[in-house]
Amino acid sequence: MFKKNPNININNISYSINGKFLLNRTSLDISGNGITVVLGANGAGKTIFLKLLSGLINSDNGKIKTHSNDFSFGNSAMVFQEPIILRRSVLSNILFVIEKIQPHQKIMASELMDTLGLSGKDNQNAQTLSAGEKQRLSLARALITQPKILLLDEPTANIEPTSTIYIENVLRRKSSSGTKIFFVTHDINQAKRLANDIIYLENGQVMEYTKGSIFFKKPTTLSAQKYLSGIISDI
Amino acid sequence: MGQITNSFLEAFKLIFSFDPELIEILYLSFEITIIAVLISSFIGIPLGTVLACTRFYFRKAIISIFFALMGLPPVVVGLFVYLIFSRSGTLGWMGLLYSPTVMIIAQIILITPIICCLTFQTIESAHLKYREFFQSFHIGRLKAVNAYIIDSRFELITVILAGFGRSISEVGAIIIVGGNIDHLTRVMTTAIALETSKGNLSLAMGLGIILLLIAVFVNVAMIFVKNKFLNPSNQDL
Repeated sequence: MFKKNPNININNISYSINGKFLLNRTSLDISGNGITVVLGANGAGKTIFLKLLSGLINSDNGKIKTHSNDFSFGNSAMVFQEPIILRRSVLSNILFVIEKIQPHQKIMASELMDTLGLSGKDNQNAQTLSAGEKQRLSLARALITQPKILLLDEPTANIEPTSTIYIENVLRRKSSSGTKIFFVTHDINQAKRLANDIIYLENGQVMEYTKGSIFFKKPTTLSAQKYLSGIISDI
Repeated sequence: MGQITNSFLEAFKLIFSFDPELIEILYLSFEITIIAVLISSFIGIPLGTVLACTRFYFRKAIISIFFALMGLPPVVVGLFVYLIFSRSGTLGWMGLLYSPTVMIIAQIILITPIICCLTFQTIESAHLKYREFFQSFHIGRLKAVNAYIIDSRFELITVILAGFGRSISEVGAIIIVGGNIDHLTRVMTTAIALETSKGNLSLAMGLGIILLLIAVFVNVAMIFVKNKFLNPSNQDL
């Protein structure tokens, strides 16, 4: 059984551009385990939230604490909505993110490729993969760094069901082995399948943070109720 | 019409008989162009990469100056280099005027901004594309820059080919600093200008055909690189 991770404490973070708040005074105490799905309509601040967590952008104020050097955002990896693929082979793409490649990491890369349905494509030009395969490659590349925290920004938005299933299965497995996962999606059914807890955002504000089972049964805010019933469209 | 046909026939005769004068001019043209393009690439590609990947004071001003230099009038460059290397000029003591070396220097001044600016555009688009990904995986700057160059290698080949095309067809600057001296500084473009003025149209035409073929070859090579390696649906490594 894996060690229980400490909670992630988000204290009063804000992010604004030209005076417009994209995320406003957000405070949360998030479980350090499981899959946290971030939901909200377009422009709600989901991607900004993820980028702030990963350190890609800095908040105007406030702090994000993990209470552990081992379990921190310094040891995180991010998968973007549009897979960014380098112009080289599949295997080279995976190993690119490793500073000094050890023999066991090559074995791990091969295992990850098997798990994500990319076996036998080691030397194939990664640019020739399908959209779904590219996204699976992105996930393999993130996982080879053995991140404690994995951040995924709509990774299955533009890909076929087979790839979605591959990715969801791997995420469940990683989550149960102790990796904290933040997952942004617009797909309510996917959120139901994956979420241990849900963060629901609207206009840069956290409207709800609750267990997945509770959120989908009884959302407390009117905004979340509307979102789930499709009145607030995210398209 | 008959004169043109005769000139063409004479030109082909010169080309296929490997006329020594023609070969000498061709050899010098290629020598000057290749050396100038190589040196310009060694300067322009790293410079363009630095401008694309770093942020510093006056960066935008420097980029604007380089883009402006892309349109440098060759005769002005020729005059400028002439003044520097003429006997009374700053570097006149070197005695380089009317030598292939000074022709290379003039070519470098003309081509480096082109290679630098085209490299800047190529690397900057790679930088914008990969920046967040590299940042999220804590990829070091050196490794990132290396990746930009490796991933843009085919674009950079077309940049070098563009520099080559510009250099081989240059006449304004090199005729001023080289002086078009027979067996010493005579290259294809300057020879065409001279032979035309002398009425020796067959040699001028022969050189013109070769220059045209080189220009076509360079463009075909650029199109080939673009279609073969830069087309998303047909990407080799």
